[in-house]
Amino acid sequence: MDFILNFLDVFLFFGLLVLGFSVGRWKERRHYKSIREREAKYANILAFAVRYPPDVVTPQDCQLVAGSVVISSDYFKQIVAGLRTLIGGKLSSYESLLDRARREATLRMKEQAQRFGATLVINVKVESTTVSGGTRRGLPAMEVIAYGTALKPRVSPTTQA
Amino acid sequence: MANALLQDNIMVANLEIVPGRRVRSHLGMVQGSTVRAKHAGKDFLAGLKNIVGGELKSYTELMQEARDEATRRMVEQAKSIGANAVLNVRYSATSITVGAAEILAYGTAVVME
Amino acid sequence: MVRLQHHQQSQDKRVYLQYENRQPDETVNYNREHPLKEFAWLFFGLLGVVLVGAMVLGFFGGEIAARVPFSVEKDYARRINEHWENKPRDVEGEAVRAALRELAAKLAAVMNLPQGMSVDVHYSPEGIANAFATLGGNVVFYRGLLEKFDSEDAVALVMAHEIAHAKLRHPAASLGRGIAVGLTLSLVSAAVGERAAGGVLQTAGTLPLLKYSRDQESDADTEALAALAAVYGHVGGARDAFGVMAKLGGGDTPRGPQVNILRTHPLTADRIAAVDRMAAERGWRADGERTPLPLALAKLKLKAAQPAKEIPAPER
Repeated sequence: MDFILNFLDVFLFFGLLVLGFSVGRWKERRHYKSIREREAKYANILAFAVRYPPDVVTPQDCQLVAGSVVISSDYFKQIVAGLRTLIGGKLSSYESLLDRARREATLRMKEQAQRFGATLVINVKVESTTVSGGTRRGLPAMEVIAYGTALKPRVSPTTQA
Repeated sequence: MANALLQDNIMVANLEIVPGRRVRSHLGMVQGSTVRAKHAGKDFLAGLKNIVGGELKSYTELMQEARDEATRRMVEQAKSIGANAVLNVRYSATSITVGAAEILAYGTAVVME
Repeated sequence: MVRLQHHQQSQDKRVYLQYENRQPDETVNYNREHPLKEFAWLFFGLLGVVLVGAMVLGFFGGEIAARVPFSVEKDYARRINEHWENKPRDVEGEAVRAALRELAAKLAAVMNLPQGMSVDVHYSPEGIANAFATLGGNVVFYRGLLEKFDSEDAVALVMAHEIAHAKLRHPAASLGRGIAVGLTLSLVSAAVGERAAGGVLQTAGTLPLLKYSRDQESDADTEALAALAAVYGHVGGARDAFGVMAKLGGGDTPRGPQVNILRTHPLTADRIAAVDRMAAERGWRADGERTPLPLALAKLKLKAAQPAKEIPAPER
Protein backbone atom coordinates (compact mmCIF):
# COMPACT_ATOMS: atom_id res chain seq x y z
CA MET A 1 0.00 0.00 0.00
CA ASP A 2 2.83 2.35 0.92
CA PHE A 3 4.49 1.45 -2.32
CA ILE A 4 1.41 2.53 -4.27
CA LEU A 5 1.13 5.77 -2.32
CA ASN A 6 4.80 6.63 -2.87
CA PHE A 7 4.49 6.19 -6.60
CA LEU A 8 0.90 7.32 -7.01
CA ASP A 9 1.84 9.51 -9.95
CA VAL A 10 3.39 6.61 -11.80
CA PHE A 11 0.44 4.30 -11.20
CA LEU A 12 -2.07 7.00 -12.09
CA PHE A 13 -0.18 7.73 -15.27
CA PHE A 14 -0.02 4.17 -16.52
CA GLY A 15 -3.57 3.43 -15.39
CA LEU A 16 -4.99 6.37 -17.31
CA LEU A 17 -2.73 5.58 -20.23
CA VAL A 18 -3.99 2.01 -20.56
CA LEU A 19 -7.61 3.11 -20.08
CA GLY A 20 -7.26 5.95 -22.58
CA PHE A 21 -5.54 3.78 -25.13
CA SER A 22 -7.88 0.81 -25.01
CA VAL A 23 -11.20 2.62 -24.72
CA GLY A 24 -10.08 5.48 -26.97
CA ARG A 25 -8.97 3.09 -29.69
CA TRP A 26 -12.15 1.06 -29.44
CA LYS A 27 -14.24 4.23 -29.73
CA GLU A 28 -12.20 5.48 -32.65
CA ARG A 29 -12.69 2.24 -34.55
CA ARG A 30 -16.41 2.29 -33.84
CA HIS A 31 -16.63 5.91 -34.96
CA TYR A 32 -14.78 5.23 -38.20
CA LYS A 33 -17.07 2.29 -38.90
CA SER A 34 -20.11 4.48 -38.38
CA ILE A 35 -18.60 7.26 -40.49
CA ARG A 36 -18.00 4.89 -43.41
CA GLU A 37 -21.51 3.51 -43.18
CA ARG A 38 -23.09 6.93 -43.15
CA GLU A 39 -20.82 8.18 -45.90
CA ALA A 40 -22.21 5.40 -48.06
CA LYS A 41 -25.74 6.23 -46.92
CA TYR A 42 -25.46 9.90 -47.80
CA ALA A 43 -23.50 9.35 -51.01
CA ASN A 44 -26.48 10.74 -52.91
CA ILE A 45 -26.04 14.13 -51.28
CA LEU A 46 -23.29 15.89 -53.17
CA ALA A 47 -21.13 18.47 -51.48
CA PHE A 48 -18.75 20.86 -53.20
CA ALA A 49 -16.50 23.66 -52.19
CA VAL A 50 -17.32 25.71 -55.27
CA ARG A 51 -18.69 29.19 -54.89
CA TYR A 52 -20.91 29.31 -57.91
CA PRO A 53 -24.07 27.30 -58.33
CA PRO A 54 -24.67 25.20 -61.42
CA ASP A 55 -25.67 27.44 -64.23
CA VAL A 56 -29.27 26.30 -64.49
CA VAL A 57 -32.30 28.25 -65.39
CA THR A 58 -34.82 26.71 -63.04
CA PRO A 59 -35.20 28.71 -59.85
CA GLN A 60 -33.71 27.03 -56.83
CA ASP A 61 -34.65 27.05 -53.18
CA CYS A 62 -31.70 27.39 -50.97
CA GLN A 63 -31.02 26.90 -47.36
CA LEU A 64 -27.98 27.18 -45.14
CA VAL A 65 -27.14 23.77 -43.70
CA ALA A 66 -24.56 23.12 -41.03
CA GLY A 67 -23.19 20.23 -39.04
CA SER A 68 -20.89 20.48 -36.10
CA VAL A 69 -19.17 18.28 -33.57
CA VAL A 70 -17.04 18.85 -30.50
CA ILE A 71 -14.49 16.10 -30.10
CA SER A 72 -11.95 15.54 -27.40
CA SER A 73 -8.73 13.65 -27.36
CA ASP A 74 -8.23 10.65 -25.13
CA TYR A 75 -5.53 10.55 -22.48
CA PHE A 76 -3.21 8.41 -24.57
CA LYS A 77 -3.31 10.73 -27.57
CA GLN A 78 -2.80 13.69 -25.30
CA ILE A 79 0.32 12.14 -23.77
CA VAL A 80 1.79 11.14 -27.13
CA ALA A 81 1.14 14.67 -28.38
CA GLY A 82 2.69 16.14 -25.23
CA LEU A 83 5.82 14.06 -25.67
CA ARG A 84 5.91 14.83 -29.36
CA THR A 85 5.83 18.58 -28.81
CA LEU A 86 9.14 18.24 -26.96
CA ILE A 87 10.96 17.16 -30.08
CA GLY A 88 8.60 18.48 -32.73
CA GLY A 89 7.39 16.73 -35.85
CA LYS A 90 4.13 15.22 -36.93
CA LEU A 91 1.48 14.98 -34.21
CA SER A 92 -0.03 11.92 -35.81
CA SER A 93 -2.08 11.09 -32.72
CA TYR A 94 -4.25 14.14 -33.33
CA GLU A 95 -4.49 13.70 -37.08
CA SER A 96 -7.02 10.91 -36.97
CA LEU A 97 -8.99 12.82 -34.34
CA LEU A 98 -9.42 15.85 -36.57
CA ASP A 99 -10.06 13.65 -39.59
CA ARG A 100 -12.94 12.03 -37.70
CA ALA A 101 -14.30 15.36 -36.57
CA ARG A 102 -14.30 16.84 -40.09
CA ARG A 103 -15.99 13.85 -41.64
CA GLU A 104 -18.55 13.72 -38.83
CA ALA A 105 -19.37 17.42 -39.24
CA THR A 106 -19.70 17.03 -43.00
CA LEU A 107 -22.02 14.07 -42.54
CA ARG A 108 -24.24 16.01 -40.14
CA MET A 109 -24.40 18.81 -42.67
CA LYS A 110 -25.48 16.34 -45.35
CA GLU A 111 -28.06 14.93 -42.97
CA GLN A 112 -29.57 18.38 -42.62
CA ALA A 113 -29.50 18.87 -46.38
CA GLN A 114 -31.40 15.63 -46.82
CA ARG A 115 -34.02 16.74 -44.34
CA PHE A 116 -34.39 19.90 -46.41
CA GLY A 117 -34.86 17.69 -49.45
CA ALA A 118 -31.75 18.76 -51.32
CA THR A 119 -29.18 16.59 -53.01
CA LEU A 120 -26.61 19.29 -53.61
CA VAL A 121 -24.65 21.41 -51.14
CA ILE A 122 -22.28 24.00 -52.51
CA ASN A 123 -19.81 26.51 -51.14
CA VAL A 124 -18.99 24.17 -48.26
CA LYS A 125 -16.76 25.68 -45.61
CA VAL A 126 -15.06 23.68 -42.88
CA GLU A 127 -13.73 25.45 -39.83
CA SER A 128 -12.20 24.30 -36.56
CA THR A 129 -11.95 26.06 -33.24
CA THR A 130 -10.48 24.97 -29.96
CA VAL A 131 -13.16 24.89 -27.29
CA SER A 132 -10.71 24.47 -24.46
CA GLY A 133 -9.62 28.08 -24.56
CA GLY A 134 -6.30 27.23 -26.08
CA THR A 135 -4.44 26.79 -22.83
CA ARG A 136 -2.02 23.96 -22.33
CA ARG A 137 -3.72 22.70 -19.24
CA GLY A 138 -7.22 23.07 -20.63
CA LEU A 139 -9.26 20.31 -22.05
CA PRO A 140 -7.97 19.58 -25.51
CA ALA A 141 -11.27 19.73 -27.36
CA MET A 142 -11.96 20.93 -30.88
CA GLU A 143 -15.13 22.04 -32.52
CA VAL A 144 -15.38 21.39 -36.21
CA ILE A 145 -18.21 22.91 -38.20
CA ALA A 146 -19.07 22.27 -41.83
CA TYR A 147 -21.62 24.48 -43.50
CA GLY A 148 -22.79 25.27 -46.96
CA THR A 149 -25.85 26.10 -49.02
CA ALA A 150 -28.21 23.31 -49.93
CA LEU A 151 -30.00 23.75 -53.25
CA LYS A 152 -33.18 22.14 -54.53
CA PRO A 153 -35.27 23.02 -57.54
CA ARG A 154 -38.16 25.24 -56.52
CA VAL A 155 -41.49 23.57 -56.41
CA SER A 156 -44.44 25.86 -56.92
CA PRO A 157 -46.94 25.95 -54.04
CA THR A 158 -49.70 24.52 -56.17
CA THR A 159 -47.84 21.34 -57.10
CA GLN A 160 -46.68 20.93 -53.52
CA ALA A 161 -50.23 20.93 -52.25
CA MET B 1 -32.04 26.13 -37.33
CA ALA B 2 -34.11 25.21 -40.33
CA ASN B 3 -37.53 25.64 -38.80
CA ALA B 4 -36.87 29.00 -37.21
CA LEU B 5 -35.65 30.42 -40.47
CA LEU B 6 -38.49 29.18 -42.56
CA GLN B 7 -40.97 30.75 -40.20
CA ASP B 8 -39.22 34.05 -40.53
CA ASN B 9 -39.56 33.67 -44.25
CA ILE B 10 -36.04 34.83 -44.75
CA MET B 11 -33.62 32.92 -46.92
CA VAL B 12 -30.17 32.37 -45.52
CA ALA B 13 -27.33 31.12 -47.72
CA ASN B 14 -23.60 31.38 -47.94
CA LEU B 15 -23.76 31.96 -51.68
CA GLU B 16 -23.24 35.22 -53.47
CA ILE B 17 -25.48 34.23 -56.35
CA VAL B 18 -28.64 32.24 -55.96
CA PRO B 19 -29.49 30.28 -59.10
CA GLY B 20 -32.52 31.51 -60.90
CA ARG B 21 -33.10 34.46 -58.61
CA ARG B 22 -31.92 38.01 -58.84
CA VAL B 23 -30.96 40.43 -56.11
CA ARG B 24 -32.95 43.64 -56.39
CA SER B 25 -31.17 45.64 -53.71
CA HIS B 26 -28.31 45.27 -51.24
CA LEU B 27 -29.16 46.58 -47.78
CA GLY B 28 -25.86 46.17 -45.98
CA MET B 29 -24.18 43.89 -43.53
CA VAL B 30 -26.07 42.19 -40.74
CA GLN B 31 -24.66 40.18 -37.90
CA GLY B 32 -25.64 38.23 -34.85
CA SER B 33 -23.40 37.10 -32.09
CA THR B 34 -23.54 35.44 -28.72
CA VAL B 35 -21.05 34.58 -26.03
CA ARG B 36 -21.52 31.29 -24.23
CA ALA B 37 -19.73 29.76 -21.29
CA LYS B 38 -19.42 26.09 -20.57
CA HIS B 39 -21.69 24.77 -17.88
CA ALA B 40 -19.67 23.89 -14.80
CA GLY B 41 -21.29 20.49 -14.32
CA LYS B 42 -20.90 19.66 -17.97
CA ASP B 43 -17.29 20.72 -17.82
CA PHE B 44 -16.64 18.32 -14.99
CA LEU B 45 -18.17 15.43 -16.90
CA ALA B 46 -16.27 16.48 -19.99
CA GLY B 47 -13.08 16.31 -17.92
CA LEU B 48 -13.82 12.68 -17.15
CA LYS B 49 -14.71 12.06 -20.75
CA ASN B 50 -11.32 13.38 -21.68
CA ILE B 51 -9.66 10.20 -20.44
CA VAL B 52 -11.32 8.04 -23.06
CA GLY B 53 -11.87 10.72 -25.70
CA GLY B 54 -14.62 10.94 -28.27
CA GLU B 55 -17.44 13.36 -28.91
CA LEU B 56 -18.44 15.74 -26.12
CA LYS B 57 -22.15 15.75 -26.89
CA SER B 58 -23.03 18.41 -24.34
CA TYR B 59 -20.51 20.77 -25.91
CA THR B 60 -21.73 19.97 -29.40
CA GLU B 61 -25.25 20.92 -28.32
CA LEU B 62 -23.99 24.02 -26.55
CA MET B 63 -22.17 25.25 -29.64
CA GLN B 64 -25.13 24.43 -31.84
CA GLU B 65 -27.51 26.37 -29.60
CA ALA B 66 -25.10 29.28 -29.66
CA ARG B 67 -24.89 29.18 -33.44
CA ASP B 68 -28.68 29.03 -33.77
CA GLU B 69 -28.93 32.00 -31.46
CA ALA B 70 -26.38 33.97 -33.47
CA THR B 71 -28.18 33.13 -36.72
CA ARG B 72 -31.53 34.11 -35.23
CA ARG B 73 -30.13 37.47 -34.17
CA MET B 74 -28.64 38.05 -37.60
CA VAL B 75 -31.98 37.25 -39.22
CA GLU B 76 -33.69 39.63 -36.80
CA GLN B 77 -31.36 42.38 -37.93
CA ALA B 78 -32.06 41.55 -41.55
CA LYS B 79 -35.84 41.67 -40.96
CA SER B 80 -35.54 45.01 -39.19
CA ILE B 81 -34.07 46.58 -42.31
CA GLY B 82 -36.63 45.01 -44.60
CA ALA B 83 -34.55 42.29 -46.22
CA ASN B 84 -35.94 38.95 -47.35
CA ALA B 85 -32.62 37.14 -47.65
CA VAL B 86 -29.14 37.10 -46.15
CA LEU B 87 -26.43 36.07 -48.55
CA ASN B 88 -22.78 35.13 -48.23
CA VAL B 89 -23.21 34.16 -44.58
CA ARG B 90 -20.09 33.27 -42.60
CA TYR B 91 -19.71 31.75 -39.17
CA SER B 92 -16.82 32.33 -36.88
CA ALA B 93 -16.06 31.14 -33.37
CA THR B 94 -13.41 32.47 -31.04
CA SER B 95 -12.67 31.43 -27.51
CA ILE B 96 -12.52 34.56 -25.39
CA THR B 97 -11.32 33.12 -22.12
CA VAL B 98 -10.97 29.57 -20.91
CA GLY B 99 -14.41 28.03 -21.14
CA ALA B 100 -16.16 30.83 -23.02
CA ALA B 101 -16.61 31.29 -26.74
CA GLU B 102 -18.11 33.92 -29.00
CA ILE B 103 -20.08 32.69 -31.95
CA LEU B 104 -20.57 35.18 -34.75
CA ALA B 105 -22.78 34.94 -37.83
CA TYR B 106 -22.63 37.68 -40.45
CA GLY B 107 -23.77 38.21 -44.00
CA THR B 108 -25.24 40.63 -46.49
CA ALA B 109 -28.91 41.54 -46.22
CA VAL B 110 -30.60 41.76 -49.61
CA VAL B 111 -34.01 41.98 -51.18
CA MET B 112 -34.55 39.29 -53.81
CA GLU B 113 -37.11 39.07 -56.51
CA MET C 1 -22.67 6.51 -58.22
CA VAL C 2 -24.92 9.50 -58.21
CA ARG C 3 -24.45 12.17 -60.77
CA LEU C 4 -26.12 15.48 -61.21
CA GLN C 5 -26.10 16.62 -64.77
CA HIS C 6 -26.73 20.18 -65.62
CA HIS C 7 -26.39 21.30 -69.17
CA GLN C 8 -25.82 24.69 -70.53
CA GLN C 9 -26.06 26.22 -73.93
CA SER C 10 -22.57 27.20 -75.07
CA GLN C 11 -22.62 28.68 -78.50
CA ASP C 12 -23.86 25.82 -80.62
CA LYS C 13 -22.58 22.85 -78.60
CA ARG C 14 -24.29 21.34 -75.60
CA VAL C 15 -21.76 21.04 -72.77
CA TYR C 16 -22.51 18.73 -69.89
CA LEU C 17 -21.36 19.78 -66.45
CA GLN C 18 -21.00 16.69 -64.40
CA TYR C 19 -21.32 16.72 -60.62
CA GLU C 20 -20.26 13.70 -58.62
CA ASN C 21 -18.64 12.92 -55.28
CA ARG C 22 -15.95 10.30 -55.65
CA GLN C 23 -14.63 8.70 -52.48
CA PRO C 24 -11.04 9.83 -51.95
CA ASP C 25 -8.46 7.66 -50.19
CA GLU C 26 -9.23 8.26 -46.55
CA THR C 27 -5.93 6.96 -45.25
CA VAL C 28 -4.03 9.91 -46.69
CA ASN C 29 -4.94 12.22 -43.84
CA TYR C 30 -3.80 10.19 -40.90
CA ASN C 31 -1.03 7.89 -39.87
CA ARG C 32 -1.84 4.20 -40.14
CA GLU C 33 1.10 3.19 -37.99
CA HIS C 34 0.25 1.60 -34.66
CA PRO C 35 0.03 4.40 -32.09
CA LEU C 36 1.81 2.31 -29.45
CA LYS C 37 4.90 2.25 -31.64
CA GLU C 38 5.14 6.01 -31.65
CA PHE C 39 4.43 6.13 -27.94
CA ALA C 40 7.12 3.57 -27.16
CA TRP C 41 9.72 5.48 -29.17
CA LEU C 42 8.82 8.81 -27.61
CA PHE C 43 8.32 7.64 -24.05
CA PHE C 44 11.27 5.32 -23.66
CA GLY C 45 13.49 7.63 -25.70
CA LEU C 46 12.62 10.53 -23.44
CA LEU C 47 12.96 8.35 -20.35
CA GLY C 48 16.44 7.35 -21.46
CA VAL C 49 17.40 10.93 -22.15
CA VAL C 50 16.08 12.00 -18.76
CA LEU C 51 17.93 9.19 -16.95
CA VAL C 52 21.23 9.80 -18.72
CA GLY C 53 20.77 13.56 -18.49
CA ALA C 54 20.05 13.39 -14.77
CA MET C 55 23.08 11.18 -14.26
CA VAL C 56 25.38 13.53 -16.17
CA LEU C 57 23.89 16.68 -14.64
CA GLY C 58 23.98 15.07 -11.21
CA PHE C 59 27.62 14.14 -11.67
CA PHE C 60 28.71 17.60 -12.75
CA GLY C 61 26.42 19.37 -10.31
CA GLY C 62 27.86 17.30 -7.49
CA GLU C 63 31.47 17.66 -8.61
CA ILE C 64 31.20 21.42 -9.02
CA ALA C 65 29.43 21.92 -5.69
CA ALA C 66 32.00 19.76 -3.86
CA ARG C 67 34.76 21.95 -5.27
CA VAL C 68 33.33 25.10 -3.75
CA PRO C 69 35.68 26.06 -0.86
CA PHE C 70 34.43 24.84 2.50
CA SER C 71 34.60 28.37 3.92
CA VAL C 72 32.03 29.48 1.34
CA GLU C 73 29.77 26.57 2.27
CA LYS C 74 30.22 27.33 5.96
CA ASP C 75 29.31 30.94 5.38
CA TYR C 76 26.28 29.96 3.33
CA ALA C 77 25.18 27.58 6.09
CA ARG C 78 25.63 30.19 8.83
CA ARG C 79 21.87 30.32 9.36
CA ILE C 80 21.66 26.56 9.80
CA ASN C 81 24.39 26.72 12.39
CA GLU C 82 22.70 29.59 14.25
CA HIS C 83 19.39 27.77 14.19
CA TRP C 84 20.82 24.79 16.03
CA GLU C 85 23.20 26.74 18.27
CA ASN C 86 20.52 29.09 19.53
CA LYS C 87 18.01 26.41 20.44
CA PRO C 88 17.27 26.65 24.17
CA ARG C 89 18.97 23.84 26.09
CA ASP C 90 18.46 22.54 29.60
CA VAL C 91 21.27 21.18 31.77
CA GLU C 92 20.76 17.70 30.39
CA GLY C 93 20.89 18.92 26.78
CA GLU C 94 24.08 20.84 27.51
CA ALA C 95 25.71 17.74 28.99
CA VAL C 96 24.67 15.53 26.05
CA ARG C 97 25.98 18.07 23.59
CA ALA C 98 29.30 18.27 25.41
CA ALA C 99 29.59 14.48 25.42
CA LEU C 100 28.80 14.31 21.70
CA ARG C 101 31.35 17.02 20.91
CA GLU C 102 34.00 15.21 22.89
CA LEU C 103 33.29 12.04 20.96
CA ALA C 104 33.36 13.97 17.67
CA ALA C 105 36.73 15.49 18.53
CA LYS C 106 38.12 12.03 19.33
CA LEU C 107 36.95 10.66 15.97
CA ALA C 108 37.85 13.72 13.89
CA ALA C 109 41.41 13.41 15.17
CA VAL C 110 41.84 10.13 13.24
CA MET C 111 39.73 11.07 10.20
CA ASN C 112 42.16 13.47 8.47
CA LEU C 113 39.68 16.31 7.94
CA PRO C 114 40.91 18.69 5.24
CA GLN C 115 42.58 21.92 6.27
CA GLY C 116 40.09 24.51 7.53
CA MET C 117 37.20 22.07 7.92
CA SER C 118 35.46 21.83 11.24
CA VAL C 119 32.40 19.91 12.36
CA ASP C 120 29.75 21.34 14.67
CA VAL C 121 27.73 18.72 16.49
CA HIS C 122 24.26 19.64 17.74
CA TYR C 123 21.76 17.82 19.90
CA SER C 124 18.01 18.02 19.68
CA PRO C 125 15.87 16.58 22.48
CA GLU C 126 13.15 15.42 20.04
CA GLY C 127 12.05 11.82 19.85
CA ILE C 128 12.89 11.32 16.17
CA ALA C 129 15.21 8.35 15.68
CA ASN C 130 17.62 10.08 13.35
CA ALA C 131 20.93 11.81 12.91
CA PHE C 132 22.07 13.78 9.89
CA ALA C 133 24.87 15.90 8.47
CA THR C 134 23.98 19.04 6.61
CA LEU C 135 25.71 21.98 4.92
CA GLY C 136 28.56 23.72 6.68
CA GLY C 137 29.71 20.67 8.65
CA ASN C 138 26.67 20.74 10.94
CA VAL C 139 25.79 17.35 12.39
CA VAL C 140 22.55 16.89 14.32
CA PHE C 141 21.70 14.04 16.68
CA TYR C 142 18.17 13.48 17.98
CA ARG C 143 17.39 12.09 21.41
CA GLY C 144 15.21 9.46 19.78
CA LEU C 145 18.25 7.83 18.19
CA LEU C 146 20.76 8.36 20.99
CA GLU C 147 18.67 6.57 23.61
CA LYS C 148 18.67 3.40 21.49
CA PHE C 149 22.43 2.75 21.79
CA ASP C 150 24.08 0.63 24.47
CA SER C 151 27.76 1.50 23.96
CA GLU C 152 29.94 4.41 22.92
CA ASP C 153 31.17 2.35 19.97
CA ALA C 154 27.75 2.35 18.36
CA VAL C 155 27.28 6.10 18.83
CA ALA C 156 30.79 6.56 17.46
CA LEU C 157 29.92 4.66 14.27
CA VAL C 158 26.99 6.99 13.57
CA MET C 159 29.06 10.05 14.53
CA ALA C 160 31.97 9.01 12.31
CA HIS C 161 29.51 8.31 9.50
CA GLU C 162 28.08 11.82 9.72
CA ILE C 163 31.54 13.41 10.05
CA ALA C 164 32.55 11.46 6.94
CA HIS C 165 29.59 13.01 5.05
CA ALA C 166 30.90 16.43 6.00
CA LYS C 167 34.50 15.48 5.17
CA LEU C 168 33.54 14.18 1.72
CA ARG C 169 31.38 17.30 1.12
CA HIS C 170 28.29 15.18 0.57
CA PRO C 171 25.67 17.77 1.63
CA ALA C 172 27.09 20.28 -0.85
CA ALA C 173 27.28 17.69 -3.61
CA SER C 174 23.66 16.61 -2.99
CA LEU C 175 22.52 20.21 -3.10
CA GLY C 176 24.38 20.83 -6.36
CA ARG C 177 22.94 17.67 -7.87
CA GLY C 178 19.47 18.44 -6.62
CA ILE C 179 19.53 21.89 -8.16
CA ALA C 180 20.97 20.77 -11.49
CA VAL C 181 18.62 17.82 -11.91
CA GLY C 182 15.60 19.45 -10.31
CA LEU C 183 15.71 22.52 -12.53
CA THR C 184 16.11 20.52 -15.71
CA LEU C 185 13.40 18.07 -14.74
CA SER C 186 10.89 20.75 -13.92
CA LEU C 187 11.56 22.34 -17.31
CA VAL C 188 11.03 19.02 -19.08
CA SER C 189 7.88 18.14 -17.17
CA ALA C 190 6.47 21.61 -17.75
CA ALA C 191 7.11 21.16 -21.46
CA VAL C 192 5.18 17.88 -21.48
CA GLY C 193 2.35 19.88 -19.93
CA GLU C 194 0.51 17.03 -18.29
CA ARG C 195 0.75 16.56 -14.54
CA ALA C 196 0.95 12.80 -14.23
CA ALA C 197 3.29 12.38 -17.20
CA GLY C 198 5.55 15.09 -15.81
CA GLY C 199 5.45 13.32 -12.47
CA VAL C 200 6.62 10.08 -14.05
CA LEU C 201 9.56 11.81 -15.69
CA GLN C 202 10.38 13.54 -12.40
CA THR C 203 10.33 10.21 -10.60
CA ALA C 204 12.54 8.65 -13.26
CA GLY C 205 14.93 11.59 -13.10
CA THR C 206 15.42 11.22 -9.37
CA LEU C 207 16.54 7.57 -9.67
CA PRO C 208 20.12 8.57 -10.54
CA LEU C 209 20.08 10.93 -7.56
CA LEU C 210 19.16 8.00 -5.32
CA LYS C 211 22.06 6.05 -6.77
CA TYR C 212 24.42 8.89 -5.90
CA SER C 213 22.90 9.05 -2.44
CA ARG C 214 23.48 5.32 -1.82
CA ASP C 215 27.05 5.67 -3.03
CA GLN C 216 27.55 8.51 -0.56
CA GLU C 217 26.24 6.36 2.27
CA SER C 218 28.58 3.51 1.38
CA ASP C 219 31.55 5.88 1.19
CA ALA C 220 30.64 7.38 4.56
CA ASP C 221 30.31 3.88 6.04
CA THR C 222 33.81 2.99 4.84
CA GLU C 223 35.30 6.12 6.39
CA ALA C 224 33.39 5.55 9.61
CA LEU C 225 34.61 1.97 9.92
CA ALA C 226 38.22 3.06 9.48
CA ALA C 227 37.75 5.68 12.20
CA LEU C 228 36.10 3.16 14.50
CA ALA C 229 38.94 0.68 14.02
CA ALA C 230 41.52 3.40 14.66
CA VAL C 231 39.91 4.61 17.90
CA TYR C 232 38.57 1.42 19.48
CA GLY C 233 40.76 -1.23 17.89
CA HIS C 234 37.75 -3.16 16.50
CA VAL C 235 34.58 -2.46 14.49
CA GLY C 236 32.08 -4.16 16.78
CA GLY C 237 30.25 -0.84 17.22
CA ALA C 238 29.15 -0.97 13.60
CA ARG C 239 27.38 -4.26 14.21
CA ASP C 240 25.51 -2.74 17.18
CA ALA C 241 24.61 0.46 15.35
CA PHE C 242 23.29 -1.29 12.25
CA GLY C 243 21.44 -3.71 14.49
CA VAL C 244 19.64 -0.78 16.06
CA MET C 245 18.88 0.69 12.61
CA ALA C 246 17.52 -2.61 11.37
CA LYS C 247 15.17 -2.64 14.36
CA LEU C 248 14.11 0.93 13.64
CA GLY C 249 13.04 -0.15 10.17
CA GLY C 250 16.10 0.26 8.01
CA GLY C 251 17.40 3.78 7.78
CA ASP C 252 15.79 7.09 7.02
CA THR C 253 12.93 5.88 4.85
CA PRO C 254 10.92 3.24 6.62
CA ARG C 255 8.20 3.61 3.97
CA GLY C 256 8.73 2.10 0.59
CA PRO C 257 9.56 -1.33 -0.69
CA GLN C 258 12.74 -3.15 0.16
CA VAL C 259 14.15 -2.53 -3.28
CA ASN C 260 17.60 -1.07 -3.42
CA ILE C 261 17.04 1.09 -6.50
CA LEU C 262 14.24 3.12 -4.89
CA ARG C 263 16.03 4.01 -1.68
CA THR C 264 18.29 6.80 -0.46
CA HIS C 265 20.28 4.40 1.73
CA PRO C 266 21.62 0.93 0.99
CA LEU C 267 19.70 -1.87 2.69
CA THR C 268 20.84 -2.32 6.29
CA ALA C 269 21.55 -6.02 5.67
CA ASP C 270 23.87 -5.04 2.82
CA ARG C 271 25.61 -2.52 5.05
CA ILE C 272 26.23 -5.14 7.73
CA ALA C 273 27.58 -7.51 5.08
CA ALA C 274 29.86 -4.73 3.87
CA VAL C 275 31.20 -4.28 7.42
CA ASP C 276 32.15 -7.95 7.65
CA ARG C 277 33.72 -7.92 4.23
CA MET C 278 35.75 -4.81 4.89
CA ALA C 279 36.86 -5.98 8.31
CA ALA C 280 38.16 -9.18 6.75
CA GLU C 281 39.89 -7.27 3.94
CA ARG C 282 41.64 -4.75 6.09
CA GLY C 283 42.41 -7.02 9.01
CA TRP C 284 40.22 -5.20 11.54
CA ARG C 285 38.92 -7.11 14.50
CA ALA C 286 35.25 -7.63 13.90
CA ASP C 287 34.41 -7.68 17.58
CA GLY C 288 35.89 -6.55 20.85
CA GLU C 289 35.10 -5.11 24.24
CA ARG C 290 32.67 -2.20 24.05
CA THR C 291 33.42 1.12 25.65
CA PRO C 292 30.61 2.17 28.00
CA LEU C 293 28.45 5.15 27.10
CA PRO C 294 29.57 8.57 28.30
CA LEU C 295 27.73 9.58 31.47
CA ALA C 296 25.34 12.05 29.83
CA LEU C 297 24.28 9.52 27.18
CA ALA C 298 23.90 6.76 29.75
CA LYS C 299 21.56 9.01 31.75
CA LEU C 300 19.56 9.64 28.60
CA LYS C 301 19.16 5.94 28.04
CA LEU C 302 18.21 5.35 31.64
CA LYS C 303 15.57 8.05 31.48
CA ALA C 304 14.11 6.52 28.35
CA ALA C 305 13.81 3.20 30.13
CA GLN C 306 12.19 4.84 33.17
CA PRO C 307 8.50 4.97 32.17
CA ALA C 308 8.54 1.19 31.80
CA LYS C 309 9.46 0.89 35.49
CA GLU C 310 6.56 3.06 36.55
CA ILE C 311 3.99 0.54 35.46
CA PRO C 312 2.24 -0.32 38.73
CA ALA C 313 3.11 -3.74 40.02
CA PRO C 314 0.23 -6.20 40.27
CA GLU C 315 -1.41 -6.15 43.68
CA ARG C 316 -0.52 -8.92 46.03
